[in-house]
Amino acid sequence: MSSPRAYFEKLEIDVLAAMGKPSIGYLIALAVSATCFVVGMGLWGYQMLFGMGVAGIRHPVGWGVYITDFVFWVGIAHSGTLISAVLFLFRAKFRSRFNRSAEAMTIFAVMTAGLFPLIHLGRSWFAYWLFPYPNQRELWVNFRSPLVWDVFAVSTYLTVSAVFFFVGLVPDLAVVRGRAEGIRKKIYAAFSLGWIGSAKQWIHYNQLYIFLAALATPLVISVHSVVSWDFAMSIVPGWHTTIFAPYFVAGAIFSGTAMVLTLMIPMRKILKLEDHINIGHFESLAKILLFTSLIVGYAYAVEFALAFYSGHTFEIAHFTYRLLGDYWALYALMVFSNVLLPLALFVKKLRRNIPFLFVLSIFVNIGMWLERFVIIVTSLSKEYDPYSWGTYVPSMVEVGITIGSFGLFFTLFLIFTKVLPVLAITEVKETAL
Amino acid sequence: MKRRDFVKFLGVTPGALAGSGSLADAQERLFENLLRPKQQDPADMWVVHQTTCTECPAGCGVLVKGREGRPVKLEGDPDHPINRGGLCMRGQASLGRLYHQERLREPLARGADGSWEPISWNAALDRISNALVESRGGSRNVYLSSRTTGSLAQLLDEFAASLNVERLPDLELFSYGALREAYDVLFGRREVPAYHVEEADLLVTVGADLFESFISPVRFARHVSEGLEHHLDWYHLEPQLTMTGTNAGHRIHLHAGSEQWLLAYLLKSAQPRSPLPARVLDAVPDVTIEQAFARTGVTPEQLQGLVAAWDAAEHPLVIAGGVSTAHAGGLPTALLAGLLQESSGAIGNLVDFGEAENYDSVGTPGELVDRVVDLASANVGVCFLSRLHTLAPVAGLQEVAGSAVLTVGLTDFLYPPTEACDLLLPISHSLESWGDVETYRGLTSVVRPAFTPLFDTVAEGDILLHLMAAPGNWEDYVARQWQAAGADVEEQPFLERPTRPVSTRLRAAPTADRLASSWTPDTLEEPVLAFSPSVRFFDGRSQVISLLNEIPDPLTAVSYGWALSISEDDAMMQSVEEGHVVQVSALGSEDFFPVRVHPAFDFAVLSLGMEHAATAALPIDANTGELIRCIGGVELGRVRDSAVLTVLSGSMDASGRGVLPNDVHHPPGVEAHEPGHEPRRLYPTPEHETYRWAMAIDLDKCTGCSACVAACYVENNISIAGPDEHRKGREMSWIRIQPYLDGDRPIEFMPVMCQQCGNAPCETVCPVYATYHNPDGLNAQVYNRCVGTRYCANNCPYKARRFNWFAGQRPEPMDLLVNPDVSVRPKGVMEKCTFCVQRIREAKDHAKDEDRIVLDGEFTTACAQSCPSGAIVFGNLLDENSEVYRWAHSENVHRILEGLGTEPAVYYLRQDNRGDTGHE
Amino acid sequence: MKVLRLIPYAVLFGYVGAAAVGLVVLLALRSDGGVGPDQPIAFSHQIHAADLALDCTHCHQTVEVSRFPGIPSTDVCMVCHEFTATDRPDIQRLTRLHNEGRPVEWIKVHSVPWHVYFTHKRHIKAEIECTACHSDVTVQLPVRQVRSFDMGMCVNCHRANGAPTDCWTCHK
Repeated sequence: MSSPRAYFEKLEIDVLAAMGKPSIGYLIALAVSATCFVVGMGLWGYQMLFGMGVAGIRHPVGWGVYITDFVFWVGIAHSGTLISAVLFLFRAKFRSRFNRSAEAMTIFAVMTAGLFPLIHLGRSWFAYWLFPYPNQRELWVNFRSPLVWDVFAVSTYLTVSAVFFFVGLVPDLAVVRGRAEGIRKKIYAAFSLGWIGSAKQWIHYNQLYIFLAALATPLVISVHSVVSWDFAMSIVPGWHTTIFAPYFVAGAIFSGTAMVLTLMIPMRKILKLEDHINIGHFESLAKILLFTSLIVGYAYAVEFALAFYSGHTFEIAHFTYRLLGDYWALYALMVFSNVLLPLALFVKKLRRNIPFLFVLSIFVNIGMWLERFVIIVTSLSKEYDPYSWGTYVPSMVEVGITIGSFGLFFTLFLIFTKVLPVLAITEVKETAL
Repeated sequence: MKRRDFVKFLGVTPGALAGSGSLADAQERLFENLLRPKQQDPADMWVVHQTTCTECPAGCGVLVKGREGRPVKLEGDPDHPINRGGLCMRGQASLGRLYHQERLREPLARGADGSWEPISWNAALDRISNALVESRGGSRNVYLSSRTTGSLAQLLDEFAASLNVERLPDLELFSYGALREAYDVLFGRREVPAYHVEEADLLVTVGADLFESFISPVRFARHVSEGLEHHLDWYHLEPQLTMTGTNAGHRIHLHAGSEQWLLAYLLKSAQPRSPLPARVLDAVPDVTIEQAFARTGVTPEQLQGLVAAWDAAEHPLVIAGGVSTAHAGGLPTALLAGLLQESSGAIGNLVDFGEAENYDSVGTPGELVDRVVDLASANVGVCFLSRLHTLAPVAGLQEVAGSAVLTVGLTDFLYPPTEACDLLLPISHSLESWGDVETYRGLTSVVRPAFTPLFDTVAEGDILLHLMAAPGNWEDYVARQWQAAGADVEEQPFLERPTRPVSTRLRAAPTADRLASSWTPDTLEEPVLAFSPSVRFFDGRSQVISLLNEIPDPLTAVSYGWALSISEDDAMMQSVEEGHVVQVSALGSEDFFPVRVHPAFDFAVLSLGMEHAATAALPIDANTGELIRCIGGVELGRVRDSAVLTVLSGSMDASGRGVLPNDVHHPPGVEAHEPGHEPRRLYPTPEHETYRWAMAIDLDKCTGCSACVAACYVENNISIAGPDEHRKGREMSWIRIQPYLDGDRPIEFMPVMCQQCGNAPCETVCPVYATYHNPDGLNAQVYNRCVGTRYCANNCPYKARRFNWFAGQRPEPMDLLVNPDVSVRPKGVMEKCTFCVQRIREAKDHAKDEDRIVLDGEFTTACAQSCPSGAIVFGNLLDENSEVYRWAHSENVHRILEGLGTEPAVYYLRQDNRGDTGHE
Repeated sequence: MKVLRLIPYAVLFGYVGAAAVGLVVLLALRSDGGVGPDQPIAFSHQIHAADLALDCTHCHQTVEVSRFPGIPSTDVCMVCHEFTATDRPDIQRLTRLHNEGRPVEWIKVHSVPWHVYFTHKRHIKAEIECTACHSDVTVQLPVRQVRSFDMGMCVNCHRANGAPTDCWTCHK
């Protein structure tokens, strides 16, 4: 690196170049994602028109792929806040390379996740009943229901993440404003809220940022804890366990970090940001991945230990079923992806091997999706009453809507890469010094 | 209801028959008998009509409950001598026949291209009249119907005499040929006697499926239930597992075709109370216990136990029937059963010919085959086929019908016999027409219309009267018959005449001869194929009713479609798996059956539902003329492919889960809580002030017959899901019969519905309060508040909640079969048992008018009302004088999964703890 | 520049405003235009209930004993109209229907939703005035539904009068 000034110049040019005219590949990717999303929405419409029955969920498995998707996307949303808020508080420097994308990912993932509670409702058009709003009937929501807690947890998380994201963007928007022209310049100017980079502004900005980081940090814990209580508060064997909150939070960070890798590795390549995001940065992420993987693996073991130690007929029967029953292959793949494969990260060479990290991150994404699927579906398949046992297979509608949710997520992310700076320019400058 | 329909029910005359003489008159006259409130009556008043169920020949009395001018529910008539308030699932579901979308709606004639074309009643009847006139030139006219009794039988005889028509013996698949033949040989009475089970202290049934289709299942269920009150001991011996068998205290499997050996052993070993003539005894082979064991497979201990019980009993009663009298050894089995009845002194009291069932006009398939052979060589003019769902048991009948000059079908559906017909006359349902049924000697029940005919249909009696050109109509005819008997058809729902005891004397010589000549030493070669009695379809005639297909067979838990049930050992031996589609050697190469592997079925017995016997051309027993329902030496053919069966039971093994009340199923580990270790609760336990509605179910009395399930479907507007949904487990039943393996008894049936928990797991998780605990202790479900998260269903340990995956389909005119007091639920909402809250509401409203609280027994739920054996009581648990309080506080009471602390309001009773061997 | 800074606020207010307008439109659509349906016979409650001062139960005979008030049959009409106002075309039509044994096909005016169990009897016995729900029918020609029968109306009145508010009292 010749001089800081030259590097800053290059950084700004590189990041803004990434926001330039989209390539054919980008447009194709956008078209594919958007199409998936539109098809997914169409399938949702079809489901509303004909009834939930077009999905594969059945008696007794009342929750299936939709809730799996919900938990999966909420999980993905976790690393954003973790990277931006928690690592900010811990002064982890590598964070600056990822925080912008991770935060964007968080917001898009929460938005995607937020759709699923609506999609899975038998009568989606009455979803507003889940919010406490004043009405002449004096009807209130049931505050004992974890689903109501979910509504609050997720909407709070979305609000705080969005504010945090926007605040972090302000100085960068000013940078873009400086280099943009025409109507774009006006729009960026409006959203940069008159940022001129004065010392006074920086002081206020830093105070606000650290305050928001402190506010967001407990949310990392709370959101997924609340989501896990959807299960833990029930009496379903396999769900009703006290370890769910930490177990789910660790899992969420694990999957979110994996998703950051999945997105950043190609993005770095395509947007030519190799100079700004290096192997060392990825290695740091890999360490987070390894650490959370160990927690998740420990949780898997504890679940079984608790079940068998309890001597509880139904818990034992359930965990035996989870391991050896109809869904054993999914469980095995899940353990392989989430526990065994990440152990390879103990090897430094692999930790610094970007293709390996990319493949691993895909496995972890799949593994973490399967984890939620296995927890939800195997628990419901064989509950207390043997008469009402049954196995669930997702229908094409559920598969289509799931693909549609990925379509939504990638559409939003692709748009993000073109309209906002994908690296936190000012922060990279700070940490690069 | 659409306004147009409303007008129809207010009584705009169906135009089609206007001016066609007595037929139109008949339809108009029905108006006076509509289930319609009188002008001043309030519109929410139930109009109740007494009539008789005609879904099977048992002839139970029913109350038709009507609202808004149409019948919406049937209930057993508490006053009727046969059923005393109970009604089986077929009876409950028979409204589904009335409102069936595929019912014939108008007369049809076979067109030139073989398809059916509408024809006017006048034209159709003229065609028949002309054909009858033409037949005077030497051809023979025949009339074949299913069992016909009472006034219609009388009219048929007159019709036959006046128009030169031969009336063939009535065709019934259950003709009791072996029993009637045996009693003819023994006592000279070719009859099916009344068996007074309620007066016996030991019941030995050999193959007789008392609770499915044998003579009068509802009455037997009630009588056995009454017998249990005074400790009736019951041995049931059968080759294949039946629902009846699961209910017997001692259910013993014997080899198919060995029944006569067992009965011979019992006859020779037991102490005779009235000694049999030596000549007869000599004709019965001496059977040692070893021989009996070798032939029947019943262990010497079991045999000795049976003999000891027989000797110890004061009033032992043996009944042979069902599959056991429907094979080559059927006649000796029936003869020996009769001899045992004679030697134990049961003839004349427990076995009563004075109240013999009215099977006078019913022939056996064998008799009919003889008549058909005779007819085949003659010219048949007009051939009437009335109320028949099959001709298959009688070889050649279809051909004779096909070759007749004019074959007329009187029917309500396009059953297979209509293929041979040239003309179809749609006949009215029994809820749309007059009639009567003489079930047994001494009892005639009236059939009264409750409804104007829904379609352009006419009663069979009116058709006959019209063809005879007789004055008056069918209603008058029935009234005249009743008048002649000194009764009023308008006022009396049934007519009981005192019966005289019939004296019988054993005819030694023919008995000995016939016993010797019909004795078959060989038992059937295993594996055997048995046609099991069907509690759902009777002899197959009820299979058209959608609801009966929707409710699973209690034993196999299979709802839609045929299934060949085999034991696990057989499946292993034949290397087939559940769902494999196989051929069965005895049934020709055309038919394939998916296999149901059943953990409780007996080895070397394959079993098919009796409804299949209605379409298969089964052999006929030469001795008795009965259909052979047990075929030896069958083989399973190759596996063609596999199918997904509609098995609604996830597993029959509930051991260790605290579901069934016994040590095996309810081990100490899942006890409610240890003393001094009260469970702690996060939320306060609800308290109840005036009412805590609760239910108690006596599992000893529950037979598994599923009448409650059908009653619930009709009462609560539960939609029919269909086979595809059933394969996904998406049934909609609010109450279901769960079959479980249970110790030394093959199966215990457990009716399970919403347990209306005191601490309901469903209530806390609903985000919108669509489900909540109401002040009466009910887990209320508010349909239009439900957003459909299904969280409540996930959290219900009893899995009693049902989700509306789609909007329920009610094809016209099924949309009329709706209880107006209960919502028809839209798609996307959860529903479940409400303890018939509409009835609670009505009773409370009534009580409030009188300024009191609801009294015990003032009303009950639909399931409890329908139960033939009185196994369900419902009431207020806070009322210490209530029946349900007494039951819930008796010994041996159990609640499902008590260990979860849900405090269910449904109590299960079981006296004997039979599960000591267990299934591991 | 200052103007541009207002854009986010403008957008926000735009959404809120649009929502408010939508709400007003919805509410406006919900209230009927104040005209009841044209009945097959132009029956006047004013003449019968106000001028002649017939009691409601004179025609709605089951209102005290049933969930339903009972729409009178033509028999009830003909008690008077056999002799009264026989020159009017509507009465002649009524007479014709009566003689043919056909009912008058009245159009239902007051309806509760499908999931509601409502009983007139209980409300009459609790001495709730008919006008509490139906308002004054004698000034309406033709009769129309003045008050909207929504749950707020029911439940507020139940609360005020100490009537049960258990959902299953009314929801079926």
